[in-house]
Amino acid sequence: MSDFIALRHITKTFPPNVIALDDVSVSFETGEIHAVVGENGAGKSTLMKVLYGLLRADRGEIALHGRPVQFSSANDAIAAGIGMVHQEILLIPEYTVWQNVVLGAEPRTRWGALDSRRAREAVRAKIAAFGFNLDPDAPVGQISIAARQKVEILKLLYRDVSVLILDEPTAVLTPLEVPQLFEELRRLRAGGKTILFISHHLDEVLELSDRVTVLRRGRKVDTVAAGSTSKAELARMMVGRDVLFAGRPAVHAPGEVVFRAEGVSARDDKHISRLREVTLEVRAGEIVGIAGVEGNGQFELVNVIIGLIQPAAGALSVNGHDLTHASILERRRHIAFVAQDRSRMGASLSASIAENAIMTHHRLNETFARRRWRLDMQQAAAFATRVREQFAVAMSRPDQPFRALSGGNQQKVILGRELLLDRPFLLLDQPTRGLDVGSTEYVREQMLRQRDAGRAILLISSDLEELFSLADRIAVMHRGEIVADIPTAHTSLEQVGYWMLQGREPAPA
Amino acid sequence: MRQKLFAALASIGIALGMGALILLLEGRQPFEVYGALVALSLGDADKLAVTLKNAVPLVLTGLSASLAFASGPVNLGQPGQFLMGALAATLVGLSIDLPAPLMAPLLMGAALAGGALWAGVAALLRHAFNMSEFIVTLMLNSIADLFTAWLITIGGPLAEAGALSPRSPAIASGGRLGDIGAFNISIVVMALAAGAIGYVFHRTRPGYEWRMAGQNTLFARLGGCPVNRNFFIVMLLSGALAGLAGGLLVMAGPYRFIRGIGANYAWDGVMIAVVANSALGATVGYGLFFAALQTGALGMELLTAVPSEFIQVLQAVIVLVSVAGRGYLSALLDRLALRRLTRPSLDTRADTARR
Repeated sequence: MSDFIALRHITKTFPPNVIALDDVSVSFETGEIHAVVGENGAGKSTLMKVLYGLLRADRGEIALHGRPVQFSSANDAIAAGIGMVHQEILLIPEYTVWQNVVLGAEPRTRWGALDSRRAREAVRAKIAAFGFNLDPDAPVGQISIAARQKVEILKLLYRDVSVLILDEPTAVLTPLEVPQLFEELRRLRAGGKTILFISHHLDEVLELSDRVTVLRRGRKVDTVAAGSTSKAELARMMVGRDVLFAGRPAVHAPGEVVFRAEGVSARDDKHISRLREVTLEVRAGEIVGIAGVEGNGQFELVNVIIGLIQPAAGALSVNGHDLTHASILERRRHIAFVAQDRSRMGASLSASIAENAIMTHHRLNETFARRRWRLDMQQAAAFATRVREQFAVAMSRPDQPFRALSGGNQQKVILGRELLLDRPFLLLDQPTRGLDVGSTEYVREQMLRQRDAGRAILLISSDLEELFSLADRIAVMHRGEIVADIPTAHTSLEQVGYWMLQGREPAPA
Repeated sequence: MRQKLFAALASIGIALGMGALILLLEGRQPFEVYGALVALSLGDADKLAVTLKNAVPLVLTGLSASLAFASGPVNLGQPGQFLMGALAATLVGLSIDLPAPLMAPLLMGAALAGGALWAGVAALLRHAFNMSEFIVTLMLNSIADLFTAWLITIGGPLAEAGALSPRSPAIASGGRLGDIGAFNISIVVMALAAGAIGYVFHRTRPGYEWRMAGQNTLFARLGGCPVNRNFFIVMLLSGALAGLAGGLLVMAGPYRFIRGIGANYAWDGVMIAVVANSALGATVGYGLFFAALQTGALGMELLTAVPSEFIQVLQAVIVLVSVAGRGYLSALLDRLALRRLTRPSLDTRADTARR
């Protein structure tokens, strides 16, 4: 096989103090599926952006068929046959599939106008050639996320690229849509295309790719053949130590009901119903998982529980305390809360670590609440140090700005802050989203430990495997309703996936 | 911190350099002009005293704006709150006559209350009707301006009988602030107010909640902070600071409310807050600096025949350079720091390659 693309000694730094890539050399061969894996901040996306011409390397060179090339923009890269599909899908919803595909490279008539007939025909031919299941005339706003992703890929195929870079392509897909994407990617490989894809999910990487390159903290660890490695080995290379994958929870008997929602309904500010008579109980020593395709009422449920939205009907309580109309501060006497969006809801990035660590404690924790007026910043620093020690946060000083921490360490500070509140009920909204393997493992371990300590935990997650490995019961939300609430042991990934998409029991086969 | 100070000094240096260019183009001697500026604002104790006295309204309205901006509320009503504070002090000073140790604090209290109430109107309207305080405080400026002008217009309810220009009668002598040596007592009041607000903002629980809400309201709210109540309190406090500025101006200077007493102090204060990026310490620093420029300007005009308007040009250049340059300068400094960080690692790599 020939080295189709070679990246040699790539170094890329971001001021003020980030060395994103440090002397990375890697080569890609024609007709392979090559996965690039690593923890957050390992440099995966940066490496791909350097290849795609979005970022310029400080040092190093890129060679295509042995000839050094320099891309100063994505257009240069596409002209050289390299295309990238980003995590965020950038399409015009009002345009049809074929209009989106040809946009920017339209076939013209003799008079310079758009040649619609030729364009549509060309797109239809590409769809047929690669066996995509797409209607060229469907408006993009009306097709599924998975189909939109196909349109993005089609855009690149239409421009005749030979290399496709996919940045976490499965992140936006439901479990049932992933195999179909993989099928299509394999077909592209059979058609001679080279596919580079970035992923967190080691199972997917092993299933799909031919070779895997592992990055850790900006350096290349190794490139290995997928057939001769294992999930544990890849994880070890990524993290630099052994990683334990949390298994099924131990069987145990949950205690008294701690959290109870009864017939809770809520509308948004346009008076559209977002939650319909949600009834849910979480017992002490139990993790209840909420599954659902995003936008089916999970976020509204969280907001109603924490007090950002007032329910239109129903009641909420923790340990018998009625919280339906309580202030947020009153709720926080009973609820520890990890929000899904760290920078928007869970922290102030420009404040110091200590200032972030003492939030809520500053009013409810003995140490700080004893004084009505003064806030002792030395005590705050001491408290932040306690969070660092108990929750293994990698930080130098408590007065560092919060934004200087990596995502995983930020989440550890937030989780530590909330767990140290020592509340009976934990509301955790996507607590591992965007975290790397090591931090994810850590957060999950903490959840299990809290469960064993008798806390009641409501876990909202879009990662079904996470729910299956942690939750004792899974409740599925569909269009604002809870359509299923079953012990994890009595259901399967496929069944829950079906409920998520259809909102009802799968028909017996 | 050191980096911020360096960036601030660098901006001022660049601005002074650009000012020097303008002077050269006009055929003046920049060193002579700047020399006169310094000599006439900081040259001796008397001149320093004038500079500090002139700094009082700038620093206090600047703190008013910085406190609000850093805590969330967009209070742009300093001009109106300033006038209402001055009016309140004047009214009390006209109707009561007490010995100075009682009278001065009473008038200052009235000034604080006057500014706070005027800001409170905007806070109430936001609370009741969700009206943006940004617009309301701006509108209230015009109302305060015209209302106070009407009061003191010749023949108006508060006008001094027989006066030739619009002004109120003089306040009772107990409310007039004297000097300690060359320095007016209002300077001491300013220092105390700045110290108090700095302590509350950085060392108390309410201050912590205000800062967090100013950076990320949703975070503070979810953390259990009463953000609506805090908004109210900050608005009142911010108004009170601007009102105090107005009151002190009456008590230290003309001892009465005169037409145009607000001058441009409050807008200068907002400008200072913007240049200081809403940091309280920097607000005090820039307030003193701008007061020195403005104080030196008059003397500079006399000595070098450079029109005092040149100082306005210089101020504008400083604002533009420091605000526009803020992001750029810190990025540059970050880049330099990074270079220091990466160099040793490259050296070791070269060493290993040699071996």
